[in-house]
Amino acid sequence: MICAGIDAGSRATKVLLFDSEHARIVGSGLADQGVEQQRLTAELFDRTCGDARLDRAAVGPIVATGYGRNAVRFADTTITEITCHAQGVHHLAPDVRTIIEIGGQDSKFITLEDGGRVRDFAMNDRCAAGSGRFLEVVAARLGVDLSTLGELSRHSCQAALISSMCVVFAETEIIGLLAEGVAAPDIAAGVQNAIALRVAALAGRSVTPPVCFTGGVALQSGMVRALETAFSCAVFVPSLPQYTGALGAAILAGRQFRTRPLL
Amino acid sequence: MIDHCYDFAESARAQGRPIVGIMCEFTPREIILAAGAVPVCLCGGSAATIPAAEQLLPANLCPLIKSTFGYHLTGKNPFLNWADLVVAETTCDGKKKMFELLGTSKPMYVLELPQKAEEPDALEHWVLELRKFQQFLASRFGVAITDRQLTRAIELMNRERRLRRQLADLMTAEPPPITGRQLLDFKSIISGIEADLQQYERALQMYAPANDRTAPTQHTTHNTHHATRNTEHAPPVRVLLTGVPVVHGAERVLELIEGCGAVVVCLENCTGLKPILEDVDVNNESDPIRAIGQKYYHLPCSVMTPNPRRFETLRALAARFRPQCVIELVWQACLTYDVESWKVRKLVEDELRLPYLKITTDYSPSDSTRITGRVEALLEMVRAKGG
Repeated sequence: MICAGIDAGSRATKVLLFDSEHARIVGSGLADQGVEQQRLTAELFDRTCGDARLDRAAVGPIVATGYGRNAVRFADTTITEITCHAQGVHHLAPDVRTIIEIGGQDSKFITLEDGGRVRDFAMNDRCAAGSGRFLEVVAARLGVDLSTLGELSRHSCQAALISSMCVVFAETEIIGLLAEGVAAPDIAAGVQNAIALRVAALAGRSVTPPVCFTGGVALQSGMVRALETAFSCAVFVPSLPQYTGALGAAILAGRQFRTRPLL
Repeated sequence: MIDHCYDFAESARAQGRPIVGIMCEFTPREIILAAGAVPVCLCGGSAATIPAAEQLLPANLCPLIKSTFGYHLTGKNPFLNWADLVVAETTCDGKKKMFELLGTSKPMYVLELPQKAEEPDALEHWVLELRKFQQFLASRFGVAITDRQLTRAIELMNRERRLRRQLADLMTAEPPPITGRQLLDFKSIISGIEADLQQYERALQMYAPANDRTAPTQHTTHNTHHATRNTEHAPPVRVLLTGVPVVHGAERVLELIEGCGAVVVCLENCTGLKPILEDVDVNNESDPIRAIGQKYYHLPCSVMTPNPRRFETLRALAARFRPQCVIELVWQACLTYDVESWKVRKLVEDELRLPYLKITTDYSPSDSTRITGRVEALLEMVRAKGG
């Protein structure tokens, strides 16, 4: 049976098709989030099915997750991204005990029990200082593309200290640093450290390895190193780091469908 | 409740009864009632009055303090406008300093609250403060406050507390006959209104377990109900809500929690059970002020240091109401509750062995979606644990 997971995030929507009998991924697609969320999600879903050479009617249960999950009207049910990321990561790396997930506007810290069940979680509150949005603001301020911001940080000699707890204040702080003549790579590296420290503060307690890092921000080179420094332990990025939420949703869709009809 | 409180206060004023605003559960309403005055809770729960307050107060201050003060500046709270006197205590620093500003244009009386309630002299100090307050009220309103009047006021307040406790006890049922939001609605901003007490008695008759078969089980379906598609038919998860008070107008988080498919079976805070768990000893007729002091001085507010009674209370309430998880609500910039939350988490996770979630927010609804997401994840966790 083909199950689908749709992760409607704040910055991007991800669709993942999963063959629950053979436990393998059969298709995936990603599109920027926009104003017309419902239409964009439906189009992405159809496109992903087409790319996977699947008839849309061949797709069984659909679970929506992510910030915009309630707007995915054609999904059978919704499950929060906390539960879905836990499930997705557990499928990819069953021994993982800690997940750091940094997306467009959230950073999450999830601890897992045996079997991939969520033991505890923490998320940032209102402020987006520890999230992808922060990196976007910084990239724009430094005049570089988001995709090259991580690369830029590699040329840092001494990471700048960025202490602000808020994206808006941090931007002001960065303007001040630029005015002082601090090099852009040092600012980029400083921002990565600031995000890593924010997430470490969320974690609060000791971290149980193995630690897995997912979400769009996991694609930024330099972030793993910043997190490893902040957490004082090894951090790895799984395959498809942006899709772990959608993958978990698809797996849970298959599981729920097996145990009882969805509606 | 507010409408009839308005009518009640208006007619009390017409009869010449003074209106006394109160800002905290430490204020002994008994002494105000014994003076023939009407105690009205003035804690602000509206986001709309905050911008006005921020002209004088720092933005990074607890929303309850800002909203209360904003009501004063905008003149939008008729009860505060009517108040002949506002009584408050030295609880948190933010309130204390706000009262100084309020005092420049409103008659204020501030009671000094000892904050090491476990110390032997704390009660003595508090009783002394209450005696001074009694004298102040008597001379201010030109009345005598006799022991007999105090005892009558104590009996009235004890009756109100007993009825509210009994209402709260309805939530021990599984599932409870009403929602936490409905229970909160029973709380009146004016104490000792006979019509309220009779309404409590009627509600108790209607929802009492013995009448289960005839009682309308109008569970959940508050207008904010938007349970996710997969939990619509699941039994509600039992939640103990602790932390800051949920004052009139600021019920958003409670509504979000219950909208996710949970039921708040126990509201531990100052708008819930915390201040009504104990009665005033009515047998101390020779010194009712001391009896009143004994009930009030050690309320387990986070301004107390240390605050062991809060944890004892949480233990007892968890045993009684059998929550499946604990949610702590902290108003942004409420330092005492925020710092103390670490100890609450430890108690809940390590001792009660329940999942714990802290929600830090203010009165603006901008983070409602984020709060809902976290609550839903918590409920999924609880359900996964159970099944």
